[in-house]
Amino acid sequence: MKKHKLDNLIICKRCHTLHKKIKLHRNTKALCKHCGSVIYRNHHNIIETTLALSISAIIALMVAFSFTIMTININGIYQELNLTALFVVIFEQHFYLMGIMLGFLIFLFPLAILVSIILLLTLMHFRRSGYLVKRLLILTAKLLPWSMIDIFFISILVSMVKLFDYAQIEIGVAFVAFILLLVLDIIINKQMRFNELWRYYESIYGVKNEQS
Amino acid sequence: MKASTELKMSNHELIRCPICEAVNLDKIGEIKCRRCGELIYKHKDVSFNRTLAFLMTAIILYFPANFYPILITKKLGVTQENTILGGIMVLWEAGSYPVAIIILLASVFVPILKFIFIIYLLISTEYNVKSSKIDKYKLFYITESVGSWSMVDVFVVTILSVLIHFSAIQIVPGAGATAFALMVFFTMLSALSFDTRLIKR
Ligand SMILES: [Zn+2]
Ligand SMILES: [Zn+2]
Repeated sequence: MKKHKLDNLIICKRCHTLHKKIKLHRNTKALCKHCGSVIYRNHHNIIETTLALSISAIIALMVAFSFTIMTININGIYQELNLTALFVVIFEQHFYLMGIMLGFLIFLFPLAILVSIILLLTLMHFRRSGYLVKRLLILTAKLLPWSMIDIFFISILVSMVKLFDYAQIEIGVAFVAFILLLVLDIIINKQMRFNELWRYYESIYGVKNEQS
Repeated sequence: MKASTELKMSNHELIRCPICEAVNLDKIGEIKCRRCGELIYKHKDVSFNRTLAFLMTAIILYFPANFYPILITKKLGVTQENTILGGIMVLWEAGSYPVAIIILLASVFVPILKFIFIIYLLISTEYNVKSSKIDKYKLFYITESVGSWSMVDVFVVTILSVLIHFSAIQIVPGAGATAFALMVFFTMLSALSFDTRLIKR
């Protein structure tokens, strides 16, 4: 395996400062000299830990999407919020464009990201089908900016505040699942560095040197 | 632990692949990443024009998003329409100051700030604007990461329309909500299609 000379370099995501990589001790991280953000870390068994976290996250996501987020009670009349009801109401009001956009932003993209992470990490763990892993790595990176699950959760909180004066609010199972999902999501995003995954990819499946 | 070795040399000849983060040599025209094989950048002019086109679409959508009602309340046959600013004023008068401020920031200021940032970045690629290259990269990073927060109001309206769905009182999303969601979408596309190689000085 031929190591490319550019592989010893890394550019900070936030401020684009160029850094030369140095060897890190186990479980430490390298910070950007200019802006202080984490540029890479030494994390042993990153694949297995991230895989376990992603599987927990997808379970939390399923719960968050299939059960009640909250129930409001206005003078004895109950109304329930869950994701199915959300899409039914939007399409009933003929907001098709918005319904499709929401469907992608808060449901399909987050789900696709997690499925693709789980799939690629599993394949990497068993050292199988390199081509598929490569496509999945690219797909995940492209989908990441389009998941708005965190903003949707903030919106749930804002709605609660708006309803506070008029209604009694009861929190459902899905609400707790949402919090769990967000915490897991933050941890996964923090430790899953694409640069590291690609280096693992190269060490497992080898490098194709098309150009030098 | 700090990565102590910072390389000053030939920084502008090396670029970062946005997909796999590999360091690549900068070339004129199209660049394919040496590691993941994805197209990093198209021709610079293409990128500039695309960013501008998406931005213009977003700016145009900003007007219906703010002037059309985002939320319609039907109470015993009486219909009341609320625009984004109207909704913020209602919240403010009701005393929910933190929420009013969050929505004001997320749905009024963030889009405008994003427009200004992108316009500034586009201008700075053509003319010599006095500010460091690193500041511009940071500005670009902030622009990319705060953009989707503008969707808060759209989500809130849809959530409320599910919950307030009684025979006596009903909340439905207005046309402004669709325009707003589209505006956020196009602003994000604009930021994503911006070629960071255009940042020079
Ligand atoms: Zn930095
Ligand atoms: Zn790449």
